[in-house]
Amino acid sequence: MKKSYIIALVLIITSVVIFINASKDVSTYGDFKMAEKANDKIKIVGLLSKDKPIEYDPEVSPNEMSFYLKDQNGTEKKVQLLKAKPQGFEMSEQIVLTGKMMDDTFVASEILMKCPSKYKNEEIALKSQS
Amino acid sequence: MGEIIYSGEVLWIGYLSRLLILCGFVGALMGAIGYFLTTKQQIKQEEQSWKVIGKIGFWTHAISILTLIGLIFYAMVQKHYEYNYVFEHVSNDLPMKYILSAFWEGQEGSFMLWMFWHIILGMVVFFTDKTWFAPVLTIILLVEVWLTSMILGIYLPWTDDLKIGSNPMVLIREMTEAPIFANADYLSLIEGRGLNPLLQNYWNVIHPPTTFLGFASTLMPFSYALAGLWLKEDKTWLKQGMKWGLFSAGILGVGILMGSLWAYEALSFGGYWAWDPVENTSLVPWIVLVAGIHTNLIANNTGHAIRPTYLFYLLGFVLIVYSTTLTRSGILGDTSAHAFTEMGLEWQLAGFNMFFLFTALTVYGLRYKTIPSPIKEEPFQSREFWMFVGSLVLIFSGTLITASSSLPVFNSIVKAFDPDFVGNVLKDPIAHYNKYQLWIAIFVSLFAGLTVFLLYRKEKSPKNFFYIIGFHLLSATILTFVFSKIYTLPGWQFVVLAYTGLFVISSNIHYFIQTLKVNRKMVTTAIAHAGFGLMILGTITTGLNKYYLNNPFVSRGLFENDQLAEENVQLFKGKPLIVRGHYITYMSDTLIDKMRYYDIKFTKIDQDLNVLDSFILRPTAQYSNDFTKLAAFNPDTRHYFTKDVFSCLTNLPPHLTDNDLMKEMEDSIKFTKYNVKLGDTITTDIHKIVITDLNNVPTHPEYKHDKHDFGVQATLQLFSLENEFIREEIAAIGLEGSLIYSYPAKIESENTRIRLDEEILDIYLSKEENLKYDFYTVKQGETFEYKGNTLKLLGFDKEPATKNYEKQEGDIAVSAILDVKGESSNYTSKPLYVIRGSSPMSIKDYNASNGLHIRLSNINPQEEAFTFKIAKDERKIGSIPVQVATNVPRSDYIILTATVFPGINMFWAGSLMMMIGLLWGWINKLRQKTNLAVATE
Repeated sequence: MKKSYIIALVLIITSVVIFINASKDVSTYGDFKMAEKANDKIKIVGLLSKDKPIEYDPEVSPNEMSFYLKDQNGTEKKVQLLKAKPQGFEMSEQIVLTGKMMDDTFVASEILMKCPSKYKNEEIALKSQS
Repeated sequence: MGEIIYSGEVLWIGYLSRLLILCGFVGALMGAIGYFLTTKQQIKQEEQSWKVIGKIGFWTHAISILTLIGLIFYAMVQKHYEYNYVFEHVSNDLPMKYILSAFWEGQEGSFMLWMFWHIILGMVVFFTDKTWFAPVLTIILLVEVWLTSMILGIYLPWTDDLKIGSNPMVLIREMTEAPIFANADYLSLIEGRGLNPLLQNYWNVIHPPTTFLGFASTLMPFSYALAGLWLKEDKTWLKQGMKWGLFSAGILGVGILMGSLWAYEALSFGGYWAWDPVENTSLVPWIVLVAGIHTNLIANNTGHAIRPTYLFYLLGFVLIVYSTTLTRSGILGDTSAHAFTEMGLEWQLAGFNMFFLFTALTVYGLRYKTIPSPIKEEPFQSREFWMFVGSLVLIFSGTLITASSSLPVFNSIVKAFDPDFVGNVLKDPIAHYNKYQLWIAIFVSLFAGLTVFLLYRKEKSPKNFFYIIGFHLLSATILTFVFSKIYTLPGWQFVVLAYTGLFVISSNIHYFIQTLKVNRKMVTTAIAHAGFGLMILGTITTGLNKYYLNNPFVSRGLFENDQLAEENVQLFKGKPLIVRGHYITYMSDTLIDKMRYYDIKFTKIDQDLNVLDSFILRPTAQYSNDFTKLAAFNPDTRHYFTKDVFSCLTNLPPHLTDNDLMKEMEDSIKFTKYNVKLGDTITTDIHKIVITDLNNVPTHPEYKHDKHDFGVQATLQLFSLENEFIREEIAAIGLEGSLIYSYPAKIESENTRIRLDEEILDIYLSKEENLKYDFYTVKQGETFEYKGNTLKLLGFDKEPATKNYEKQEGDIAVSAILDVKGESSNYTSKPLYVIRGSSPMSIKDYNASNGLHIRLSNINPQEEAFTFKIAKDERKIGSIPVQVATNVPRSDYIILTATVFPGINMFWAGSLMMMIGLLWGWINKLRQKTNLAVATE
């Protein structure tokens, strides 16, 4: 057998192993219900509850904040985020969190916010005199 | 409704742009066809009349697009806001130096930048390559046809919403419907939105053109490879392929590197690489090109590996187009921090991608069998064999990265067939990529260290090969030991990584010295390989050894095996905080233009608190173009040879980030009013306040002496409820005409604000009805005394001009000129006497600082005598009205993240060495060619 075939075979086998192995690295966007069952970290997606309190008191801890999130099924839970409050947080439309459920609070270590586009539904800027 | 005739619009720019885009498109198409047929006929050895068509097409395209770019620049510089692209990206206050950035901020502009480089590269081919120009220009122009179509901006006749391309020079009123366009003079009412503040820095001037030259350059090895396949010139194209491959990998690499340097230096990410899909898909073509260069080298030297060289160069460009498609189509959604939002060109981009993927693969597939490939295999101990294996490892790396980065694409495709499909995402992207790429790096290092001492086409490795490798394996062992003493290696796999990194450095230093003696041109290999090793060490030191300057007494681990760093600290103005080995103090902040600079002092101390080093970093908070909101935080970094100290704000008091929140906060402050005498104590819920002094000579730091007519200030002492003295403060109030300005005492640390009530002015400024006037009648030159002031009538003015008097038709007005000398002030008083119609009136002159009210009440013309009415404010300080608010939100703090990146210069230097190796190699190839040309002459 040619050596290059052997190498190709080795690489293909490695690919398959990695592929199987890496399937653990991916997950779907979950919800609070899934988070309660999961043992590991999970990614959940939802909307910020703007009527509920958003708490960030840097004097207590600059690395923690809490807010309420409504997941895709409409379940609302308290979220404790272990990060400084991201800039433009109140503006966010959709939030993706990585974390896990602890008691009745979702403790998150990562956050990704989707903010309204700069250009969407924006009025044309008028000069002040008009 | 009649047609509105708009005023001020310059429409010829738009018409000309449309014409140029159309000419550019037709030119590219004509050129591609012309050169295609030229190439075909060349094969058949026939007449070459198509060549002229190709030439005309190429130059029509080139001149049209270059003129178009110039025209759009013109519109941007002249600020023709009637054009949407100008409106979106330029504003009146945009500095000239950022016009370039504004040009390529949008998708259309960046497409044109890309085309610009293709045209330049096309010209290089046109003028320098007399052999390959026809097939190569065919391919370049074909790509240009697709790219020009992206800015065509025409709607397909049979649909309403399917458009081909997006024309940058569309009028804003054609793009948007707004009531303002009912106004024929709308142009005088609008101003451009301007460039995103984040992009207003020099990185965005230099990074995009470099990256796009990198993107454009991948078309060169692609075109030569495709031309080689097409003309069945499987060996002769290799030289050109090598030259352009080196150039492309070098420039693309520099572009990527600039991107990570920009992210690190100017953005708040706090790192240089985040495995973002946009970053990944630009890295993969680079990796594939590097693999191609290696197989190309094998092919040049042994005739092996021509097939993979073709394939890798073909894939390089296709992957660049793939990267563009992902970035610009919006498909990445929330998985990327960099991607553009969609602009309706998704299908066109996908078509562009598919077209070249299928063209390349079809030609490759059809030719595959006839591409020469030696039957005899590469010997096991030959250089080419291990270089080939190394290249395969690189391709393997590219495949893994592409597969993971394409997850959103995979999700979209499955969703198209199965709407219920829920897409997968990477749970922890950085960990995922690092985990696998670590092993790639180990193998690449190993091969790059070993192979340089092997020889081409040799069955056996050189005699001393094992001694040399043995030596370097040993030297790497010692170096790894030393390395592990300086930096932490938390895991055996990192020890292996550091070991192989040090091995490739060690062996390539040796190779460098060896080649320097033999052939200076060959040192490029050693530089690039050692650079790779150094870069790997840099990723270890920065990735695994970075630490936050945070509170060392707090640590937390809410998840098992997952220690979360305390990334941020809260700093109060003027109050030092001890963090790991440093004091950090937020000293002050300064607003310059729309940027607030925070002076943060870092003092490095040893265990005995001796100061080792001290420096100031100035991270900034940048406000939006309209100055209503915070737009971004920008970092500042202190560079050392062995480490960097990176700092960036992460948060500010909410009311400092948004004008609306500021208003909300101010409105929420509840003041309580107190009336107290000097020396009396006000007791609030948290402290006691005593007013110790009241005067009308304000010293409050914010009080503007040149602006105000009059001011009052109180000195206050603040005590705790237990009568402990806290501090002394000043509250002031200023009067300007009828406007009152308050300068409260802000005691941030006590959440307290104390201000003087406006009523305090009544103490100083008496009302007219309460004044008791005295009368004095004097002649010019005479002097009189009034309550400690000496007044002298200097004369009178028949054309008086004072701010309290506005002359009317028929007025008779005279003002006296009185010189007033008193204890506190010397000035000239000008009371007025006016006869309007038949009624006389007197207009008072009032001096707030000494409280004198002077009126000219009568003039006796016969005796030349003037009668004055004078009164003085009593200014008896009775009770002082003050307002106190407690629970005022603090404004004097910042949330800061400060990170130490040890050994980060290894990463930059190593990466730079790789690019130097590539580009130096390219220059050597260019020289070789000229040398040959000289030799043949």
